[in-house]
Amino acid sequence: MTEKTQTAQDWWLGVGHLVTHGVAEGAIKVQRVHLSIADETFNVLARIPVTRPVSEPVRALHHGISRLCYGTAAQLAGAAAKVTQQALPKD
Amino acid sequence: MSWQQHTSAIVSGFIGDWLENQGNPLAVPMTFLSQGLSVPEAHPAVAVTKPHSTVIVLVHGLMELESVWQFTGQPDANYGTEVADALADGASTLCLRYNTGRPIYCNGQALAGRMERLLGNWPVPVERLILVGHSMGGLVIRSACHYGVLEKHQWVSSLQDCVYIGSPHDGSWLAKGAQAGARILNALPRDYLRVAGEVIDLRSDGIRNLTRGDILAGEGELAGLVPDVRHYVVCGLLARQRNPINALFGDALVHEASARGDAQGRESEGGWALTASATFEGVDHLRLAHHGAVAEQLVEWLA
Repeated sequence: MTEKTQTAQDWWLGVGHLVTHGVAEGAIKVQRVHLSIADETFNVLARIPVTRPVSEPVRALHHGISRLCYGTAAQLAGAAAKVTQQALPKD
Repeated sequence: MSWQQHTSAIVSGFIGDWLENQGNPLAVPMTFLSQGLSVPEAHPAVAVTKPHSTVIVLVHGLMELESVWQFTGQPDANYGTEVADALADGASTLCLRYNTGRPIYCNGQALAGRMERLLGNWPVPVERLILVGHSMGGLVIRSACHYGVLEKHQWVSSLQDCVYIGSPHDGSWLAKGAQAGARILNALPRDYLRVAGEVIDLRSDGIRNLTRGDILAGEGELAGLVPDVRHYVVCGLLARQRNPINALFGDALVHEASARGDAQGRESEGGWALTASATFEGVDHLRLAHHGAVAEQLVEWLA
């Protein structure tokens, strides 16, 4: 493998490492944004007599599904980040 | 210059300290370049075909590469070559490429050490060294000078001129704004706003150093200009003549007062002794690095 090809390969490994780390960290941050914005809406629904009885169960269901989705994405990306970390050139 | 190199430079500016800690190849390594060729410090003659006793080193700013020095439509011309052409004996122009996300003092220490090796191995004795820095590059030069003096490096004795072009010696309003914005957002009771603050806080140490123009390892530690050297300052202003835009934004990123280092104090008060300064109206921060009028001024000062 030529030096140029190796450098290009290392560069893409670097991009992979950055992206997987970014997705792993970003998924948790996006989850926090999603849940806290959703809480604003659920807080309003909890004050309206018609929607009050169902707002809390729906909030729990919404937050549970969201945590599962974002958490899975973060875990998968975190695992990929560990793999790319191992593949990075050591010098 | 490939898009990949530009991408690396931009990403390094944002999070270069993290990239370096992780061993990520996107982190830009510190390199001297001559006409696009890497100059090994141990054997500079390999890349510099006609070495001169006057050496000009151009140091770029945050998220930039050496391409920032190129004049429009003239890829081989920059401030170094312009000054070299005006000098009777000519000069060798080198560009520095580095990871701008690292703390400025780290880059200053590294530059000082590398210049000691490079100029120690220079094929002819170096009689005159000229350092030219754009934006953060000017702060890296000041830092390198400080550590060069501290380590008693030989290159300091040949240093005759330092030029700071749009360098935020007293900090950049944008970096100060980012710090203040993050602090406010982090203190708010809504999690989605705190996340925005945390994202701003991901910025590199290099960007954080631009808040106050920190160039030394100790936060807020003051460093004067290296003595017995001529120091020149170039400032830019967005608009021509007296315009409130200039007072608000300076050259877009750096105010004129910060570029002059006004907060460092006047010479009579034991502060800075600038040899000369020049302000260019209608020239923004980026164009300061490759502008014909600035080139003429540098030739007048240095040649």
